[in-house]
Amino acid sequence: MLSLGSSGGKQPAKPSFVSYVTPEEINPEKETSKKERLPALLPGEVVFCSANPVLKFTQDELSQRGVFGTLVCTNFRVSFISDEAQTEDTTQHFKNKLYGENDIPLMCVDHIYGGYDDKKKLITGPQLKNKYPSKIIIHCKDLRVFQYCLTFTDEKDARKIFQGIVHHCLESKSLKCVFAFSYSANNAEMQRKWRTVMFDATEDWAQEMKRTKGNCRLVTENYAFELFPRLPQYFIVPAAVTDEDFQTAKKFNGKGLPIWCWSHHSGCALFKTATVPLMQEDTVSQNYVERMLTAVAQNHLYSVKTEDLGDTLPSLQEVQLAYSKFKQFFLIDNSTDFWVSDVKWFSSLENTGWLDIIRQCLQKALEVVECLEKENTNVLIMDEEGSDLCCVVSSLVQLMLDPYYRTLMGFQSLVQKEWVAAGHNFQDRCNHLHHKDKEHLQSPVFLLFLECVWQLLQQHSPAFQFSETYLTVLSDSLHVPVFSTFLFNSAQQRLGMLLTAESPQQQPWTQRGPLSCPTVWDWSVQFDCRSQEFFINPVYSEKLRVDKAAKKSHRPKHTRQLSLPAFKTPPKKGFFKEETDSLKKMLRAKRLSRWMLSPDASPQAASREFYEAWQRRPLDYHGVLLPQLDGPAVRVWMQRYLRWIPEVQIFGGGAVALTSRLSELQVEVQELVRRLERHGGHGHGGGGGGGVYYRDGPPPPYPGASTPSPTLLQMPSQSHLLRSSVRLSSSFPFISVRNWSFKPAIPTSMGPQGLSFTDPDNIASKEDEYSETISLV
Amino acid sequence: MLTGSKTTFKVRQMVPDVKDRMLSHSSLHSRGREMFGLCCLPGECVLQRAVLVRKKLSAKEGGGWLSGTLFCTHFRVAFVPQDSPKPDDNADPVLLGDHDVALASIEKVVAVGPSRTKLVTANSSLKFTPEELVLYCRDLRVICFLFDRLTPETQAVEITYTIAKTYQPLKPGTVLSFQNAALGSIEMKQFLSNRPRDPDMNWFESTVDWEQELERVGATGWRVSSVNDRFEMSTSLSRFNVVPQKVLDTELKKTFAHFNEGRLPRWCWRHPRGSDLLRMASFQNNIYHEKDDIRNLELVLFGVQQVCVVVELGEEMPSTADIQLAHTRLRTLCLGDISASVSVPDDKWLSTLEGTHWLDYIRCCLRKSGEVASLLRGGHLTVVLQEADDRDMNCVVSSLVQVMCDPHCRTVAGFQALVQKEWIMAGHRFLSRMNYNRDSDKEEAPVFLLFLDCVWQLCAQFPSRFQLSGDYLLALHDSLHVPLFSSFLANCQRERSRRSQHLAQSYTPVNGLRELPRGSPLQDPCCDPPLPPVWDWALQYSGQRRGRFTQPVTQPASPPPLLNGNLNTNLDPHRHVDGMAGSVFLLSKGSFSSPSNLLPWRSSAGSAYRKSHRRAPSAEMLPALERLLRACSLTESGPDPHEPLLPLLLGPCIKVWRDCYLRGALHAQAFTHPMPSSMLHPVDQLSLEVQQLREKLAQASSTSSSSCSSSSSSPTSSRTSSNPRIKQDARRTDSNLNQNANNGTFLFPNSRSSNQPPAAPRGNTQTAASVKPTSRPPTSIANPPQTRPSGRDGTKHTFLFGGHQPDNRPGQQRYIPAPHTKPPRSRSSSSSGGSSGIHGNNVQ
Repeated sequence: MLSLGSSGGKQPAKPSFVSYVTPEEINPEKETSKKERLPALLPGEVVFCSANPVLKFTQDELSQRGVFGTLVCTNFRVSFISDEAQTEDTTQHFKNKLYGENDIPLMCVDHIYGGYDDKKKLITGPQLKNKYPSKIIIHCKDLRVFQYCLTFTDEKDARKIFQGIVHHCLESKSLKCVFAFSYSANNAEMQRKWRTVMFDATEDWAQEMKRTKGNCRLVTENYAFELFPRLPQYFIVPAAVTDEDFQTAKKFNGKGLPIWCWSHHSGCALFKTATVPLMQEDTVSQNYVERMLTAVAQNHLYSVKTEDLGDTLPSLQEVQLAYSKFKQFFLIDNSTDFWVSDVKWFSSLENTGWLDIIRQCLQKALEVVECLEKENTNVLIMDEEGSDLCCVVSSLVQLMLDPYYRTLMGFQSLVQKEWVAAGHNFQDRCNHLHHKDKEHLQSPVFLLFLECVWQLLQQHSPAFQFSETYLTVLSDSLHVPVFSTFLFNSAQQRLGMLLTAESPQQQPWTQRGPLSCPTVWDWSVQFDCRSQEFFINPVYSEKLRVDKAAKKSHRPKHTRQLSLPAFKTPPKKGFFKEETDSLKKMLRAKRLSRWMLSPDASPQAASREFYEAWQRRPLDYHGVLLPQLDGPAVRVWMQRYLRWIPEVQIFGGGAVALTSRLSELQVEVQELVRRLERHGGHGHGGGGGGGVYYRDGPPPPYPGASTPSPTLLQMPSQSHLLRSSVRLSSSFPFISVRNWSFKPAIPTSMGPQGLSFTDPDNIASKEDEYSETISLV
Repeated sequence: MLTGSKTTFKVRQMVPDVKDRMLSHSSLHSRGREMFGLCCLPGECVLQRAVLVRKKLSAKEGGGWLSGTLFCTHFRVAFVPQDSPKPDDNADPVLLGDHDVALASIEKVVAVGPSRTKLVTANSSLKFTPEELVLYCRDLRVICFLFDRLTPETQAVEITYTIAKTYQPLKPGTVLSFQNAALGSIEMKQFLSNRPRDPDMNWFESTVDWEQELERVGATGWRVSSVNDRFEMSTSLSRFNVVPQKVLDTELKKTFAHFNEGRLPRWCWRHPRGSDLLRMASFQNNIYHEKDDIRNLELVLFGVQQVCVVVELGEEMPSTADIQLAHTRLRTLCLGDISASVSVPDDKWLSTLEGTHWLDYIRCCLRKSGEVASLLRGGHLTVVLQEADDRDMNCVVSSLVQVMCDPHCRTVAGFQALVQKEWIMAGHRFLSRMNYNRDSDKEEAPVFLLFLDCVWQLCAQFPSRFQLSGDYLLALHDSLHVPLFSSFLANCQRERSRRSQHLAQSYTPVNGLRELPRGSPLQDPCCDPPLPPVWDWALQYSGQRRGRFTQPVTQPASPPPLLNGNLNTNLDPHRHVDGMAGSVFLLSKGSFSSPSNLLPWRSSAGSAYRKSHRRAPSAEMLPALERLLRACSLTESGPDPHEPLLPLLLGPCIKVWRDCYLRGALHAQAFTHPMPSSMLHPVDQLSLEVQQLREKLAQASSTSSSSCSSSSSSPTSSRTSSNPRIKQDARRTDSNLNQNANNGTFLFPNSRSSNQPPAAPRGNTQTAASVKPTSRPPTSIANPPQTRPSGRDGTKHTFLFGGHQPDNRPGQQRYIPAPHTKPPRSRSSSSSGGSSGIHGNNVQ
């Protein structure tokens, strides 16, 4: 991949590919021929400082070679522009329009290290007591590692660029300085059509409630965030929650209000809330909590289960700790590190506990699913803020239960609903602004969610319309400060900031203001159409069209529920039965506590049983989907974590091979069908088992199976890109060809010969060499 | 389903003695093929039966439950699904159906009751009616049968007992009775003796076979020696061995003694770049090396090359005991301790896996093989694998090297030939290592399974480069646990042939058919049954499952070019190894050395040797060799088919063979999503469809274009062949696009690329490229897709060989597929297993 600035460099620069450069070797005439080049700036992007020449090390065994170029720091990114003539990279299928291969968005910087000779030191601020390091090592949040050598740079420039980068990356700044604001102010044309439901209007919520057949109360009183600043503009509570309750809730800052997430088709629903701090002898809060519980219970008759995720799942700090340990295994400065960590690979991964946290979250979601699906009880999950692990669990539950959310648009809507609109503290959790005092709040909760989704995707690939690449890109986009989606702590903050940024004099909360920041769902900002094709899962088995139409008229059948309780749910009106009283007693006796399970079964064992019951039923990719949680099942998200590490890229392997094979076959099928048709009439007549994948084929006799999905049929457009897949590596969309240059056998004077190894022409000649071989065959 | 037989059956059930029942059955049904819907082998009898049983299907089989009838015969536990088609009386007997388990591969029988589970042995008694019957197999499968409420209780109990009694674990001598049960009947013997052999694969049983192999890889300077024809020189070696041409048999005879077990250096394979791979046992040190011997020894060792690298496998490779321990641990991890039902907690799974060291050993084998492959790539070397007894890790490494380097070995036929050559004929101790007779516990070690796992790792990393599929490896894995196959039931060729000679008639290996005289009724029924080779897959697997042995739609391997080392011209000059003639180096721990005592005769013979023979190895060569290793390990395994597939060995890249190890585990069974059986993976589905369409197309065109006299072109070419120019254009763009598809890869089924001679415009680039790798040919891959459109019509599936026959390469003429060798008809019908045509040509 090229950096964005590549277009600037027209002159065929000398082969500046130098290995084993020692300071003496830089020839001065080279320096004079250099002119500083700037990257193609985005609208609103301003260059702060730059330095030339800077040597960028390639990720090589000894980090001894590199490329000269200019290091630029703008208000959006740290960018490196190679001095080399950029070779046309024809195999680049997947390119981010905002930032290139050598660009690091400022928010994406994780840590900066200074390299002093052999030592590596974590940099915390721009002012250094002793001398400036000769090397900057930047660890990115998307797990890239960059190493820049400043030895050849003018000392003043070097200091300036170092300070600039450190200042802009690490120092705390105000939200206003985030690039998104200057970008949107200067970028007038925006796409406004989202198929993604944004959940920023009452209709969206009403529609969602209608879709899930929920029966709750849509609260519009908070549209100006007067009641509850932490809660979204619009939200849904159980119908039994009254206006008086809002007044009480106001005292608790909106905590304790059960927010509706999703309704099961049986009528029970999932709610989430923030824990109310309960004082001893505080009857007000106790009464309030009890009232809220009763309200939840009344949503669907008599039962509610509550779960305090704060007690049962790891704390946010633990999550953060586990992740920071975990990612160390993938942030490697050079390959030697990787080989070292490899010795105890499995046990060291296990020791970080990250995989176990993933497992626990999925397990919890599984338990909630069980309650909804099997026992048909309402579920109220809570954690301290009501927007962290609650979001993880609630979105996972919806993903498992509702096939709609497994489509691309549905998933985006889900994130919008459960995370963005619901006010997950993205700003604090990612510590976008690098506030020192907020570091303890940092925790990769959203990433944890994506990890869990990835596990599901891995296990039930045909059930998801989006691909692994999509998830990876989404996790990267968290740190691109262009989008409004992940920038704020709450809906209030988002609306406030965006509106004031746009037109400060207007009254703040009139209607939904003109959001001028793009949302992350507007993928065309980052990727062109061709790249966006990689977001689609090629093996997604789409539901039959007929089915879809039918589904609109009547809700999914209960056929799969073998284990429904013996009694049917009475009609809605008849709540307040004996059961409710007993529930009240139970609630009184026991504060919000563990699941109200029968005492003899542990939750794990119970969910195991549920899982096995599910397993016995025929798998429906458009029905309930449960994750497998055993030891071998929870895996490392290879694409996200290993994509930049050349040592683990398999050539002609990985998912690309599958994708390309699939598209290849599709082309062939179409081809054959066309030819058959040309032969007249034979195309459909003799159709035995064939014709599953082309449009006119007979529909499969079983429901919910794979069908002539349009995605499959549009895949061939990718196919010609993928033709060359033998050379594609397993981390394909991100690195198509191994991006480390050939390591010479003798690392001495490489000169043009060394260059030729990276030259694509050389690859071509290699291929011809190859084709020669074949021609002899 | 049950008519009159039911009552008789019930009556028999009362008979307590198993033996009585057996006899009564066999006398009644000695000829009968079918009993209660079970298609029996001749002489097989049903011992017990249970109706209304459901079998839990694995994910591979589609998951869910299948109801049917469970049988226990004295050879297998068979399960017949309810609506399975009526067995065809004329069909060949099949040893094991899709749902059957051979009794010998059962390890444990567990009955699951309402509240308890019990391990059932021959002597135990059940105190409850089992609801579920779980069979734990040696091949890591776990098969689970569920009795219905309507299953008669006696049936459930009885069949559990019967299975527990008949499978007879760990008793010496059971193997023979098992074999007799399966193959002992006269009909079966006759049937087996008339089985045709797979003609596509090389059996390495005759000199012709070896010569064919020598020719295939283009090895010159070697000959097949039959000096060991009567196993006098070495008991464990095969009859025929490949040795340098220069060494006469009389000279050769003296060299045997210098090696452990007489396993002298033998040729295994030649790399297209001209290096030879040899294997040998360690030297016998206590022997005096005569001067004359030394010349022969060196000749044998160096082969046709000047430089020899000895790769000592003893030190760095795991010992067989290690492998056995690791495998036992892996079993325990994957299956759990059955009786105790204690399993590893999920959060400790990974570290426990690491603790088994199984993956480490895989890595170790792959790494060593990668090193050897890189060495061979250097060209003009003799690489000799040395192991103390040359019967375990040598097999692993030599065959892995060939899998990595030789595309032919990645086809089913090629792989079978490889196993035949490097394992079966080379004398891997299958019988002891697998410990079928339970009499060699100390020697038991699943070395072959380790090898299969290594191949699977390669397969998993480079799926597009393999024609054989994971299913095939799995089938081979499972067959290893069924002690029925001659391939695995002996420790060396001598034992194997002794065994077959023990049968009154010996087969003649020349025409490859075992010819037992028809209907020899005098044959002693107690005599060993004739054992089929494992490669007779039809005995075990249905056609449908055999179809999955190959990648669904694949192009057959392009025959490797026989360049006799000519490829070497492409090497960079600094990679040339111009060692002093006669240098010997030792590769150990990734670096080279030339210890003086490497060849014992050199150190012992001292000055006398030096005077008469070559000089000491030069130290300057060491870096050059090391460069060879490192340079190769860093190049991408690019489009060149002769680049070895170097697997990545880092932690994240070596995976657990889930389909094998975890399929039976209970927690992996959780993975068995019940799904409609018709719900295949999209790739399989599509490829199936491609096949069907092709067949239909072939049909359609054969009817429609019957008037059209297009003899050599595709059946569809009635339209297209009238316009050959367009076709040519289309193909050109295609071949440009699909250059990679030519690389002996199998993923891209476009037979168009494999079958086409290169299009004209690429001719000049080829010559240019062959001169110098750095030259820049005018055509590059930079601009393929523009000229696409015409390639989209039907023309690309047509084949015209005549016009493009490259006449300017007379030397290679014989390897150009003749126009008629591959009519598209046959391709379309045999696209899955259809590599035969090509290989057939190849050896003509």
